[in-house]
Amino acid sequence: MSDENNKPLIQFQNIVKEFDGQVVLKGIDLDIYENEFVTLLGPSGCGKTTLLRILGGFLPQSEGKVMFDGKDISALPAYKREINTVFQKYALFPHLNVFDNIAFGLKIKKEPKDIIEQKVNRMLKLVGLTEYGKRRVTELSGGQQQRIAIARALVNEPKVLLLDEPLGALDLKLRKEMQRELKNIQEEVGITFVFVTHDQEEALTMSDKIVVMKDGSIQQIGSPTDIYNEPANRYVANFIGESNIINGIMKQDRLVSFAGKNFDCVDSGFSADESVDVVIRPEDIDIVSAGEGKLVGTVKSRLFKGVHYETIVETRQGTNITVQMTVSEAKPVIKENEAISANDFYLDVSDIEELTVSDIIARADAQAWNTVTDELISITQTEYDIKPEIGTYPVTFSTSNGTSVKVNMIVAEENKVVSEKYGEVIYAVNIYKNVDDILESPLLDTDLKTWANAQAWSTDEEETIEITDVEYDFDPDNITPGIYDITFKTKGYEFKIDTTDRFEIGQKVGLQFTPDDIHVMKTEVRG
Amino acid sequence: MKSFKLMTIPYIIWSIIMIILPMVMILFYAFITKGNSVRQFIFTFDNFLKFFSDPVFFDVLKRSVYIALITTLFCIILGYPVAYIIARAKPKTSAILVLLVTLPTWINMLVRTYAWRSILQENGIAVALLTLMGIKNVKLIETEFAVILGMVYNFIPFMILQIYNSLSKLDENYLTAAADLGANRVQTFLRITLPLSVPGIVSGITLVFLPAVSSFFIPKLLGGGQFVMIGNVIENQFLTAGNWSFGSAISLIMAILIIISMYITRRLDAKITGDGGDDK
Repeated sequence: MSDENNKPLIQFQNIVKEFDGQVVLKGIDLDIYENEFVTLLGPSGCGKTTLLRILGGFLPQSEGKVMFDGKDISALPAYKREINTVFQKYALFPHLNVFDNIAFGLKIKKEPKDIIEQKVNRMLKLVGLTEYGKRRVTELSGGQQQRIAIARALVNEPKVLLLDEPLGALDLKLRKEMQRELKNIQEEVGITFVFVTHDQEEALTMSDKIVVMKDGSIQQIGSPTDIYNEPANRYVANFIGESNIINGIMKQDRLVSFAGKNFDCVDSGFSADESVDVVIRPEDIDIVSAGEGKLVGTVKSRLFKGVHYETIVETRQGTNITVQMTVSEAKPVIKENEAISANDFYLDVSDIEELTVSDIIARADAQAWNTVTDELISITQTEYDIKPEIGTYPVTFSTSNGTSVKVNMIVAEENKVVSEKYGEVIYAVNIYKNVDDILESPLLDTDLKTWANAQAWSTDEEETIEITDVEYDFDPDNITPGIYDITFKTKGYEFKIDTTDRFEIGQKVGLQFTPDDIHVMKTEVRG
Repeated sequence: MKSFKLMTIPYIIWSIIMIILPMVMILFYAFITKGNSVRQFIFTFDNFLKFFSDPVFFDVLKRSVYIALITTLFCIILGYPVAYIIARAKPKTSAILVLLVTLPTWINMLVRTYAWRSILQENGIAVALLTLMGIKNVKLIETEFAVILGMVYNFIPFMILQIYNSLSKLDENYLTAAADLGANRVQTFLRITLPLSVPGIVSGITLVFLPAVSSFFIPKLLGGGQFVMIGNVIENQFLTAGNWSFGSAISLIMAILIIISMYITRRLDAKITGDGGDDK
């Protein structure tokens, strides 16, 4: 609806706002045209409401200018601006009835009584509450109050209506209804609406233009289709609905590489081999039979979302490593009232140089306690002799009373799996544990990662990679002494797909999408 | 729940002894006169007839209502701006201001009234100051002015606190909305702030008018012997004349008057702020 040849009605020029030294708006430049339905969209704290309040005249900006119809209105107080607002909590005057609330602005302007009556009744009709003039506003439902607030603002025939999250307090069904109604009202009165919301769906349904904001700056300005289909960056893509965002490399114009393959796309204008973020919307991917699609994968999970299934397909498994866990019964050494216990443990050759006593105590889980009071006793002596070579070395822990326990430190080669193909390294060590350690662990997966010191990183050692899966072949609630396998896995490539068909978990499937389903964005500068 | 209900029993007993019983006694005394040796008490309307037939008493009543009304009016006029400033101040400042307003009430009202008496008396500070300023031969003590000054001084904290209370609860959004709809600061005050603070003014009126109309020691101390209000008459009937029946009858007339005036202010409040008002 915006016509670029028109002069903009509202212009924000480098608006900066600071609160107590905190910058909430970092230089906003934005043009709003006549008859536009503009939505300021962003999470709470992004500055969208602040911007609206600056436009309404309720807050002064720290820097920059607000132009209205070509004139600088920065110094104009709120009551002199040709702008009206629908407030978040409506702010209907409780001591006035519906009619008087709507008539408030007209009475201030001292319009003749019969004109006021005519205008108010027209507004009541517009919002569908003709019979409600004599009612008290406190007797109205949320939706009705909402409509009165809109009528009270519109009756003044403003050039711009500001709406500050007006639907936030309504339930889902009413919200949907009001969305449609607001859009209808805007089309009927034909003025500019500036709407603030954090609800991306609301923004997409109603707006002509969406302004996506984050941390006080604008991320993208565009029509709902632009914003949805061609998000400017990872942030916008994530905020506007569910998405698959994959790291990729732009090989050349219209050719992008991700998930280990090259794909045709419609994007160009990147430098060769530039790192990019690739977006594919879940509803743009079709699941076909394995071998037919562009990618092959396994169905990993499936969640019913009311209309569709959100299906996760893993096209590539993560890198994995398996270690052994030797589990034994706890058998502390007991002498008089003292008990002391410790486990054998594994060490890398490279660890030995910097090995300290506290490292050894921690890795061996060494602890001593009083058998009567259960109070911990400190381990005062740790005797060991170790060489930076592969082998087994004994270590003895003792308390000041001479209670001691002897365990082995096993020095081995670094245990890691390198996946050249995917550029990942995963590392973990074998561990020794007591039955009780397993039974008492509240977060077993996390504890296993910690105990085995499981880590993964990229082969260029620049990034750490998250270990997402921990698999083991024992029942943690009924564990018995023995030797068990634990497998740590990094996350592979996963695609989220919205389908109406139901696929079984573990099923091999193919993924199909077209070049124009692939959207390539500049990688956000990190930090 | 049951055990909580039991906790109210001491209060109920207390209020029966201290409130209900005296009221019943007033009601009883108002309609009797001392009898002869056969009947101790004789039922009669004479006490009321005496009050309305003697124009002296009616004049005193009129004066009491007049003084109380003037006092209330001054409390509103002087108290509202103070309450408004306190409500608009930063939280820390307003806490200090509230403290300053309530500070005098920590001292006994009688003591403070005596202090006023010495300030206003013939060779007191006030007269001396006025003489310095060239205004000579002024009599302050034992005038209507002194009585009203004493009453405003004593009762204004109640007015300020009540108005402050309702102003501080005023939703800032209403003011923003009024500005948004084109109202400047004066219009916003007259159309939004003032009507929404009426409940505070009304409870302020109740807290000022009622004690003012029945006050007896302020007119006695500051108004001198010749400046009689209805409270003094009642006091005299009980303490000096020993005519409990007549004292009770006047008290009862006052009570009825107060009930009527309270009803009127409540209705006024409801009319301005909407039916029922916002009952707390």
